Amino acid sequence: MANVLKRQIRRSAKKTSLYIILVGIACIIIFPVFFLFSFSFMSDYETYSEWPKPLVPSFKAHFMIDKDVEGYHLFIFNKSEDDFMPFGPLVFTNNEKDVDNLRKFIKLQSNCKISSQQIVEYLEVVDSDSRVEFTIRKDLLANYILFFQVVNGAPKAVLNSLMVAGATILISLTIGGMGGYAFARYFFKGKNILKLSVLFVRMFPAVSLAIPMVIILAKMGLYDQPLGLSLVYSVGQISMSIWITASVFMSIPVSLEEAAMIFGTTKVGAFWHITLPLALPGLAACAMYSFIGSWNEVIAAVVLTQFNPTFPVIVYKALVGSQGQINLITAGSVAQAVPAIIFTLIIRKYIIQMWGGVKV
Amino acid sequence: MATLELVDLAKRFSKKVWGVKKMDLEVNEKEFIVLLGPSGCGKTTTMRMIAGLEEVTRGTILLDGNDITDIPSRNRGISMVFQNYAIWPHMSVYENIAFSLKLKKMPAAEIKQRVQETADMVKIGELLKRLPGQLSGGQQQRVALARALAVRPRLFLMDEPLSNLDAKLRVIMRTELKAIHQKTEATSIFVTHDQSEAMSMADRIVIMKDGVIVQIGTPDDVYFRSANMFVAGFIGTPPSNFFTVKCIYNNDKIALEHSQFTLDLDPKGFEELKEYNGKEIVIGARPEDLLVVPDSEAVFTEEILVVEPQGSHQVVALNLSETIVKMIVSAEAKVKPGDNIGLNFNRKRLHFFNKETEDRIHLKNEVE
Repeated sequence: MANVLKRQIRRSAKKTSLYIILVGIACIIIFPVFFLFSFSFMSDYETYSEWPKPLVPSFKAHFMIDKDVEGYHLFIFNKSEDDFMPFGPLVFTNNEKDVDNLRKFIKLQSNCKISSQQIVEYLEVVDSDSRVEFTIRKDLLANYILFFQVVNGAPKAVLNSLMVAGATILISLTIGGMGGYAFARYFFKGKNILKLSVLFVRMFPAVSLAIPMVIILAKMGLYDQPLGLSLVYSVGQISMSIWITASVFMSIPVSLEEAAMIFGTTKVGAFWHITLPLALPGLAACAMYSFIGSWNEVIAAVVLTQFNPTFPVIVYKALVGSQGQINLITAGSVAQAVPAIIFTLIIRKYIIQMWGGVKV
Repeated sequence: MATLELVDLAKRFSKKVWGVKKMDLEVNEKEFIVLLGPSGCGKTTTMRMIAGLEEVTRGTILLDGNDITDIPSRNRGISMVFQNYAIWPHMSVYENIAFSLKLKKMPAAEIKQRVQETADMVKIGELLKRLPGQLSGGQQQRVALARALAVRPRLFLMDEPLSNLDAKLRVIMRTELKAIHQKTEATSIFVTHDQSEAMSMADRIVIMKDGVIVQIGTPDDVYFRSANMFVAGFIGTPPSNFFTVKCIYNNDKIALEHSQFTLDLDPKGFEELKEYNGKEIVIGARPEDLLVVPDSEAVFTEEILVVEPQGSHQVVALNLSETIVKMIVSAEAKVKPGDNIGLNFNRKRLHFFNKETEDRIHLKNEVE
């Protein structure tokens, strides 16, 4: 009896400590990402409040206005202090200019929208009751909107990024897909060496190739153009596309095509009617992989663009050139990261299949 | 319904590897031909060449007298059932069967009728809306069959179609395939490595080894008149027993001397063996041609090593000078390991082979 109990205790102790370690590791990895997301939804006031910083962004802000001989005072509720703290201009009066300034200040610092008229109404309440408290819903996406408003060329950069990614997908999927099909279906001399060597192009860091890339693209007249950038990305992506599509095509038995050829199609027809529909999910995953590779790339984009930067370049420059306003930068970063994260989640089973050879 | 002729057909995969070395074969109208051989003998390669899936290195393929050697598969008027069925997983059963008909631009109503008809014939009439993934192995097999039959081909090819089915289903499908063949009367070529499948289905069996034809003949031909030791050893379960003996002819008597026994033969009916006087030859004896006899009539007696009951009969294994000899006795016979039994040969049914060439020594009055 005692032995059984002992064993149970030992087993649960083992399990518990294992989970503590795993959770600890997960926290180390997840927390920075979590803060990135969290900060992107916070107002300036929340971001630069005293320690302890809030873990999650608030959804509304609580304000209080009172009045003394000098004029009106605005306070905001601070969770860290658990009290109303002075907010904005120390003193203000009920004239149009002051009220408008106050409105702008509230919007900028706490991401809360309030009309001037509303403020005037509150001030009238203060006149009669000596103080007023009110709550305003926070505009959660304010940072994102502001990022695209204040950072020069951000919307255009997104468009550029999409164009580059689209062209990269098109180039790498057609060429890589054809290569992958050849690797999957045909035997030829040096096949394995060739298949391995297509990965060599990924060996060189973009920075080390920057000067030749700039010169070659300039000569082609494609410097600072989305097409030029997509050509550069395609070089690396084609090799990945070859590997992914080869494994996709390999998982489709060749006898399916042979059957189609016997039952009335040409070789191309067999590919079109049989192989392509079956390979479509895998090819889509491959396209998303190319998208992620192109969407996230910064270094080559910094070197190869000047007036037509891609979105990651904009985020990078905003980050490097920023003075404070960390919440604004995080908004840009999240906007940059979200499409890649979504696509990664969609394609993860294909990537696992490719590397592990596990049939999903 | 067509005739097929293979003339000097050969396939070379690389410098030294030949899939098929030389193949000459004539297939008659409505015939059911089985290509039989161990794996790697070139039977599937031959079929793939007929189907147009494999380029021909040498030789010609004639279908109804027309050279189809270089015609693409789709124009050959053939259809094929694949070993792994190869039915298209993204199409429903109906679409699978109708695929080739649609490509032929057949009117929709006619397609519908033809598909239903064929599906009913192979008993999948109720499954037309299903996807292949929702079917069992046997049903998938039937879909592949229906797809091949719907075309009404001139030549019907089957590449080990039953090898992925379980033993029971295989026997059922064997019967159904034969019934379908009798109904459709399509000239058929069937590839298998299972000799019992070949025996039970074929009009004629083509036995192949190392890329060449060893024997072409009816099931009876290959069983009772095996062309060489390979065929005798390959056909039949259990396979033939071989005894290397010295042939001695004197005093109008043929004596075949084995290290363990001597078999006396009346020279009448075995005249051909006289030429082998003093030479070694090989006796091939089918398991059922070894007879249990009282000791007085026995050519040799031996201790039983193992008894394998099969229900309808029993297989008895003996150890005769380090070679296992297998024979069939009736189910009623009381035999058990350790018993000594006396054995004789059914002399009329014995095969004799030249020891060097391993070819059959043909006797004049062989069993018909």
